[in-house]
Amino acid sequence: MEKVIIRLAIIVALFFATYTALKQINWVTLFNIEKITSSTEEKLGELFWDVINLQEKEITDINIVIPIDSLISKICKANNIDVEQIKLHIVDKNEINAFALPGKHLVLYSDLIMSTENEEELCGVISHEIAHMEKDHVTKKLVKEIGLSVLISSTVGNSSPEILSNAIRLLSSTAYDRNMEKEADIDAVDYMLNANINPLPFAEFLRRSYGDDTIIDEQLSWVSTHPESAVRADYIIEYSKGKTISSAPILYKDTWDQLKMDLEDFQ
Amino acid sequence: MIIVREFDYKPGEHEADKASGSYIMSLVALVAGLPFPIINLIATFAFYLANRKDTYFVRWHCTQALLSQFSLLLMNSYGFWWTISIIFSSEQITNHYIAYIITIIVFNLTEFIATIYTAIKTGKGQHVSWWLYGDVTNLICKP
Repeated sequence: MEKVIIRLAIIVALFFATYTALKQINWVTLFNIEKITSSTEEKLGELFWDVINLQEKEITDINIVIPIDSLISKICKANNIDVEQIKLHIVDKNEINAFALPGKHLVLYSDLIMSTENEEELCGVISHEIAHMEKDHVTKKLVKEIGLSVLISSTVGNSSPEILSNAIRLLSSTAYDRNMEKEADIDAVDYMLNANINPLPFAEFLRRSYGDDTIIDEQLSWVSTHPESAVRADYIIEYSKGKTISSAPILYKDTWDQLKMDLEDFQ
Repeated sequence: MIIVREFDYKPGEHEADKASGSYIMSLVALVAGLPFPIINLIATFAFYLANRKDTYFVRWHCTQALLSQFSLLLMNSYGFWWTISIIFSSEQITNHYIAYIITIIVFNLTEFIATIYTAIKTGKGQHVSWWLYGDVTNLICKP
């Protein structure tokens, strides 16, 4: 019996040793899988953004863009994320929404920025979207809902306007699955903690926006399409418990106030 | 890894054919059942049930053929469901997935070759005992 157990252990060890050794090889690059994915993502991102840009008005005022860029830089630098890859687009729109496009395009609607009461709340939303980008949720969702072949053919110009519109609607007005949303929330909290940003106002933002009767449903895309905002707020608070929260402001209060005023003027 | 040794008695031609058949059954089922890993186990188990009251030589080899399918079932099932999740869900092809698939191909191929070799040898009435599987068969299958 002892001999059998030893031999079984050897076979199991041999299996895992082979698997572990083979894992060291970068097969994805070797078979050109990653290259196709990242270049496809880049093209898709450009394609989607071009469509949005045609329909909406992008805010390019540096007094508005630079402060938000500073928030993104702070989050990215503290989490070793390449900030150069993130393409920020602030869109003038009467809707509380933010979403990520393939190719690391981050789209923030002006109403969402206006609805945040402080930079921590806005950083929470930005961190959440960056987490979706970093975890590759954007592409996974598109592949799942639309299909890889359709997406790839879109990048070579073989796409109908409906497919593009569908894809954009999918990314901008529907949530990811529950696991992905939770993963993005938890990662957002980690990003914020690493960047010395208090994550609790982010939870407060979720709770407040969801319970705010003065905001009509159509304006509330980011909160209403995401699963159970109150539950999310609870697990963000729960996850933050016991963690050292050191809060250091990124923007001067005047800069934040000025940003809100500039946006208001713009609107 | 594979030892050809003398059996307790000299098996007859009929026994050798049946013993060899247990391995051929697992091979045919393996090919026919791809990519469903459970098919070859069911086929080998059916052959085992049909011959479980046969002579010691036949029973011994049916048991060894059946046992060899269990380990394949475990590793192939995991690979099968991993592939399904890549096709139908948001899972993506990763280095870990490709490494796993290559690992199970290597193990399947090894077992495939060993099975062909054993089917030929047992068909000639020779007793072939596999490393580990032969030992477990000795524990389960008594004269």
